[in-house]
Amino acid sequence: MTEKDKEVKEGDVFPFLEGERIDLVPQNSKWIPLFAKWQNNERVRHYARFSMPTTAEDIKKWFEPRSEGGPREGVFFTIYHKGDKRPIGSMGLFRINWIYRNAWIMGIIGEPEYWGKGIIGEAAKLLINYGFTELNLHKIYAGVFNPNKRSLRAAEKLGFKQESLLKEDMYVDGVYVDTYQFGLFKRDWMEQNK
Amino acid sequence: MEPTPFIQGEKIDLLPLNISNVEIYVKWVNRPKIRKFGRSVIPKTVEQWKKLIHAEEKGIKDSVSLEIWHKSDQKPIGELGLFNINWFDKKAYIGLSIGEIDYWNQGICTEALKLITNYAFAELNLNKLYSYIFAPNKASCRCVEKNGFIREAILKKDVFIDGKYEDTYFYSIFKEDWMKLNG
Repeated sequence: MTEKDKEVKEGDVFPFLEGERIDLVPQNSKWIPLFAKWQNNERVRHYARFSMPTTAEDIKKWFEPRSEGGPREGVFFTIYHKGDKRPIGSMGLFRINWIYRNAWIMGIIGEPEYWGKGIIGEAAKLLINYGFTELNLHKIYAGVFNPNKRSLRAAEKLGFKQESLLKEDMYVDGVYVDTYQFGLFKRDWMEQNK
Repeated sequence: MEPTPFIQGEKIDLLPLNISNVEIYVKWVNRPKIRKFGRSVIPKTVEQWKKLIHAEEKGIKDSVSLEIWHKSDQKPIGELGLFNINWFDKKAYIGLSIGEIDYWNQGICTEALKLITNYAFAELNLNKLYSYIFAPNKASCRCVEKNGFIREAILKKDVFIDGKYEDTYFYSIFKEDWMKLNG
């Protein structure tokens, strides 16, 4: 990371969902080079399965204003580390089905030095709560491929239950691997987090 | 073009809007008896209506419009839809008009409203539907009341119709109550 990337002005950060160590903040177009760096980072994309290169131009499209109509199929945030005052990852809900009231969750910590600290878990809690209490969703899905032990553990810790196993569903490091699909219902989440 | 029913009823079906019928829709919306209670105060053009039908949006739409098709007479007689769909609160408002005046007072409004209400609750998973009806529009009040809508509020002197201010009735119905009424 260059010094320039680290420059984050307070005025660029608008906490939307507030946590303890981190906040989830709206994506800022000033961070496009950073997003590109994360999405293309080999270690990050190994787990996130970003198998194609992402250009800054691709990311610019996220910020294009949309025409009128109902809400989008995805809501993404930047994970902002409060103590270190820097954006460290992305997290969001995608493939939102507004009729069935379900969505998929995904997140990355783009700065590997923050891995293994439970930050994704904290961010996921904020996001899941938002999904159930603000977006009024019924169920949230998570998909994790088999050797990704850290994400499997995180999903279980959050209360996700395994619903299916898709055999040889993804291709990682030259072999086909299975994918676990997890589900979490609003009623169970509310009960767990009363 | 063969009519393609999206929702089937008894006397009527609900069809997707058909671009080749746009002149008919525009005739309805400009017709004095229709626009009186539709509050279509500014004339509408064919171009505007075409744009509405063609609207391409990313993500889910915030409205659903359908044509009311008379089955035995084989022709479109009106329009209805769910508008301002709020996918977070799971609510929408219903708009409905029978553009062909010969078909008024035949229970078509009641049937059409029943079809769209069921679609909104049983298929789109909405929680609340509402409708704004102007006090002098007695026929529409009867139509929604027959379908179990409750007058939730009165907005005083809310609309200006034919030279004077009239109240607007805010009618609503909840999925729970609709399901009870319609098993």
